Amino acid sequence: MMRRRRIGVTATCAVTAIALAACGSSSSPSSSSSTTTPSGPAYNQGISSVINPSTAKGGTITYDDSSTFDSTDPGNTYYAHVWNFSRLYATPLMTYTSTPGSGGNQLVPALATTPGVVSNNGLTWTYTIKPNVKFEDGTTVTSADVKYAVERTFDRTVLPNGPSYFQLLLGGNASTYPGPFKDRSKNLMGLTAVATPNPTTVVFHLAKPFADFNYVVAIPQTAPVPPDKDTGANYQLHPISTGPYMFQSYQLNKQLTLVPNPSWNPATNPQVSQLASKIVVNFNVNADDIDNRLLAGDIQMDVAGTGVQAAARARILSSSSLMKQADDPLAGFEWFFYLNTKVAPLNNIACRKAIEYAANKITLQDAYGGSVGGQIASTAMPPTVIGYQSFDMYEALSKPNGDPTMAKSELTACGQPNGFTTGIAYRSDRPKEVAAATALQAALSTVGIKTTLHGYPSGTYYSNFAGSPAYVHSHDLGIDIGGWAPDWPDGFGWFDEIANGNAIVPAGNTNISELNDPVVNNDLAEMESASSTPALRATLANEIDHKVMSDAVMLPIVYAKSLLYRSPALTNVYVQEYYGMYNYGVLGTK
Amino acid sequence: MAVPIDVATGPGGPEPDAPLSVAGKAIEGRSLGQIAWMRLRRDKVAMAGGIIVVLLILIAVIGPYFVQNPDTYNQELINPIFSRPNGAFGGISLAHPFGVEPVTGRDMLARTVVGARYSLLIGFLATALAVVIGVVMGVIAGYVGGWIDSLIARAMDVFLAFPLLVFAIALVGVMPSSGFGLSGNSLRVAMLIFIIGFFAWPYMGRIIRGQTLSLREREFVDAARSLGARGPYILFRELLPNLWAPILVYATLLIPTNILFEAALDFLGVGIIPPAPSWGSTLSNAVSQGFYSTDPMYMIIPGLAIFITVMAFNLFGDGLRDALDPRTR
Amino acid sequence: MVTFIIRRLVGTVFILLIVAAVTFAIFFILPRAAGETAYGLATQYVGRNPTPAAVHAMEQTLGFNQPLYVQFGRYIKAIVAGEHYLGQWCGPPCLGYSFKNQQPVWPQMVSDVPVTLSIGVGAAVLWLVGGVAIGVISALKRGTIIDRLSMSVALAGVSLPVFFTGLIALELFSYKWPIFPNVQYVGITTNPLLWAKNLVLPWIVLAFLYAALYARLTRAGMLETLNEDYIRTARAKGARERTVILKHALRAALTPIVTIFGLDLGLLLGGAILTEVTFSFHGLGLFTVEAINNQDFPEIMGVTLLAAFFIVIANLIVDIMYSVLDPRVRY
Repeated sequence: MMRRRRIGVTATCAVTAIALAACGSSSSPSSSSSTTTPSGPAYNQGISSVINPSTAKGGTITYDDSSTFDSTDPGNTYYAHVWNFSRLYATPLMTYTSTPGSGGNQLVPALATTPGVVSNNGLTWTYTIKPNVKFEDGTTVTSADVKYAVERTFDRTVLPNGPSYFQLLLGGNASTYPGPFKDRSKNLMGLTAVATPNPTTVVFHLAKPFADFNYVVAIPQTAPVPPDKDTGANYQLHPISTGPYMFQSYQLNKQLTLVPNPSWNPATNPQVSQLASKIVVNFNVNADDIDNRLLAGDIQMDVAGTGVQAAARARILSSSSLMKQADDPLAGFEWFFYLNTKVAPLNNIACRKAIEYAANKITLQDAYGGSVGGQIASTAMPPTVIGYQSFDMYEALSKPNGDPTMAKSELTACGQPNGFTTGIAYRSDRPKEVAAATALQAALSTVGIKTTLHGYPSGTYYSNFAGSPAYVHSHDLGIDIGGWAPDWPDGFGWFDEIANGNAIVPAGNTNISELNDPVVNNDLAEMESASSTPALRATLANEIDHKVMSDAVMLPIVYAKSLLYRSPALTNVYVQEYYGMYNYGVLGTK
Repeated sequence: MAVPIDVATGPGGPEPDAPLSVAGKAIEGRSLGQIAWMRLRRDKVAMAGGIIVVLLILIAVIGPYFVQNPDTYNQELINPIFSRPNGAFGGISLAHPFGVEPVTGRDMLARTVVGARYSLLIGFLATALAVVIGVVMGVIAGYVGGWIDSLIARAMDVFLAFPLLVFAIALVGVMPSSGFGLSGNSLRVAMLIFIIGFFAWPYMGRIIRGQTLSLREREFVDAARSLGARGPYILFRELLPNLWAPILVYATLLIPTNILFEAALDFLGVGIIPPAPSWGSTLSNAVSQGFYSTDPMYMIIPGLAIFITVMAFNLFGDGLRDALDPRTR
Repeated sequence: MVTFIIRRLVGTVFILLIVAAVTFAIFFILPRAAGETAYGLATQYVGRNPTPAAVHAMEQTLGFNQPLYVQFGRYIKAIVAGEHYLGQWCGPPCLGYSFKNQQPVWPQMVSDVPVTLSIGVGAAVLWLVGGVAIGVISALKRGTIIDRLSMSVALAGVSLPVFFTGLIALELFSYKWPIFPNVQYVGITTNPLLWAKNLVLPWIVLAFLYAALYARLTRAGMLETLNEDYIRTARAKGARERTVILKHALRAALTPIVTIFGLDLGLLLGGAILTEVTFSFHGLGLFTVEAINNQDFPEIMGVTLLAAFFIVIANLIVDIMYSVLDPRVRY
């Protein structure tokens, strides 16, 4: 069976004559074939090197989006591509290094001069802001503006979308602070957990040590907001810029236009550049049309950054000239089936292991678009997370078509030698998930496990169905599909919300397996303790990965890959590993 | 005094008298049905349509017993990079006369035949439901008038304005997995027939109501009334035969609409439960997943199936209407 | 006639109320039947991983924990009298604030209406004229190859999904042969010629879908009336063939055409969803799709009510047209 697969790949290699890239990308964790031929860039070259480096200014870059940003307000967004894009007009305290390769996962100071200075046994983090940073209207940024930016994220009725780390981690009155829209006291500086002893110093007081706090302040929520210009829910219409670009016009959900910020000082954030003289984003454009426009040169970038649609994918892969303009990086997220530990008989670990062995990884990978769409996953954590090591507990890599013999013996161990029945939940408006659920159903039925498929609309999947433990139990949804992307690339950012026993909530639950393993819980706590170091976190991440897999609470499907197309008109194009897509902060145009 | 031999009766006209034999051969007057059948038989195109309809029904009913399992994956026939079948024309071969599906390699002939069962069942029955409710409501509203007309017409307005998409999404949570003695896809099919049919009736209802409003003032209705005919008689023997034309036209065009409607409901999670195939969802997949460019057969087969179905029904419906309408030459 | 119209307009208000109540029920009551709680409902709107305090706060702001009739009453009152929300005044008709981006719903919808209007009215004219013309020709040439061919083309339009015909139209006429490059909505006041040019493809694609029904209804109606006695009389009188066909035969066959035209246009004005999605035109249809994807109740309600309004008014106009076209019709 593995032989058939190899032949298939080899035949394709010969036929399409793209020897290096297509054949190499299906097996190596970090696809990086970077041969610069003298005639121009090559396939996947944008993953490891900068394409068209240039400092030339001028021109217009047009982005299309098949949907809308959840919000342009830097304090109210939770999407990777919006975090990526927002650095053009919002500078947080820290950010990620703008460079291709694994350097793109490393933190570097932005608005701050250095990473946070830790004191008081990990409870106090002090940041110094660069002096003379200006807002777009020329006023100077002070530490109070940063404190205010953090404060406003506490009012979830006005700004509901962003992460909640500040509410969870800060001490003082953080647990009861209602946000500056409701608490107008102390000159809108009512949050005691954040202190501003002088105009260039911000001090965060945490409730418990959190070693990853530098990652937390890299979230756009720390980008300064002037309190007198904050219009609450309307701030998204024109955020006051601290980045190289500022808003010229914004028709909500239709079109956004950015122009260079005259008050921009490049020293404020060396990770972003001010090259193009105009940036336009069109929203709610038909996804297939975006690809057509991109390939025709009418626009320069698909801002969602998750890759082209199936029709364009085929077009690119069958044309060697188009392939030179394409990169197929790991997107930074992973697709799983969560195996719920409370729905019988999956509460017995042997029954879960039977599912792990019975699954056919090849048909699952094909559901996600074959080797270009994803790399077969054998671990619960993808290669883009710091601390990743490859291991294969259930023969996902050695026997990708499944191992019915082992599956059947696990079934016997579980007391269900003739199989059992359970439900598979998935999102019906996502064709890949329909295909994956169907593929899993077919594979499981070969060992006697009968499954019923339950499709749900994606808008309410996490809030009402798979993310509601009560619903999952009452409807027997033992297997639930899902994907996960971390807020930051270390083990805590990856595992905390999906594997921590303390993260299980009655609605909007992300620990869908309802795993409550004390080893995992303790490791996660230890990662954030005062004595934690990056090396320790990497080791613990790996340990959690092994434990989660040995608990058989997740059936990994693929490490997602996106086939991205880079317009030849763009300069300084490369994949930034943290975002899993092109770095929007440095683009210019010819 | 001549006895009428071959009476072409108009709608609602008197039945011919008992036969009187002339010249040794029994001459019978023909009933409306017999005349219609004769005319229909002569219309070759309509008969062709009718035969195709019967064939489709046959395929839907007994076809699934003669084809392979539509759910068996054949990964070896799929190109792993492009996710499309390896052979030309979607991988047509002796083993797979219609080729195979992209991504999964499932046999297309099997999926088309089994899909016929679901799509035709839903398309046809949902249409029938919509037509029955629509005609009854429309005729009553148009004929009786007054406040009953107002009530029914306003009900139609409400149904037309009904947020169907919102309803379909909300339905996902309350969709039962078993009930009325059915479960799984049988229950789904029944619910879909009901939902689609129930929300398609106001369109038909308004057409019929409009026609009825015109017709009820016509002379033959007055004539029938003056002869002592009562409401139901007028409704069924006078008005209905004159309504065949729009009914048939709209009904035959409603069938493909409903087939595609089911595909849209698939996307929201309330359609047929996978892996059961249906023409509409196959067609939608082919378009939305971009397969129409990499594997055109995957789109052409269900598209052609739907097209042939609607053509057949339309041709037959045309012929039926021509045959039933005594005024056409 | 005037009393008739007034009665109908009053009825319109009741219909809108019923539609609002039904939408409200679907959105709030159906999930409860599935076991959803106010807390669970609020989770949809607070983003990923909210703190329980945040969910409770949202529950409060959106009013989910209040009894249903209170929520409904509040909504209706806002439409009629306006309301204060988050420190802003929203004048009547205040259709609330989007759950997703906290922006008022009514101005967003108003800015989308011209787009939908442009698509809908233009396509409607096209399919009406085209469909009826095809129907007339098919009726006159009944049984010939022209009849069969035009019917086949019309039927193809009905059997193919709109997003497919739209996609193919774009790929052929916008990318392969750049006859209509860069199809984007341009306001009629900005540039009337470009407005029309960019709308040609959506008009044709949409008209293709509807033409079949109009063509066939016209054909069937014409076939009936062409055999009536008064047609023979008109011909015997020496009237021109064109007068016979158009003034006498077609007019009598128009009732069902008028009916469905009103219905189709009314429904379309509520948002030509598939067309707008395919061509990325920011009209009410796209607005509806967004609203439903985000489970954004105020937007869903707003667009449903507007669509209901269009449908009811369209049907009213159609009913009036009945008595204009056919003087025998009395109410």
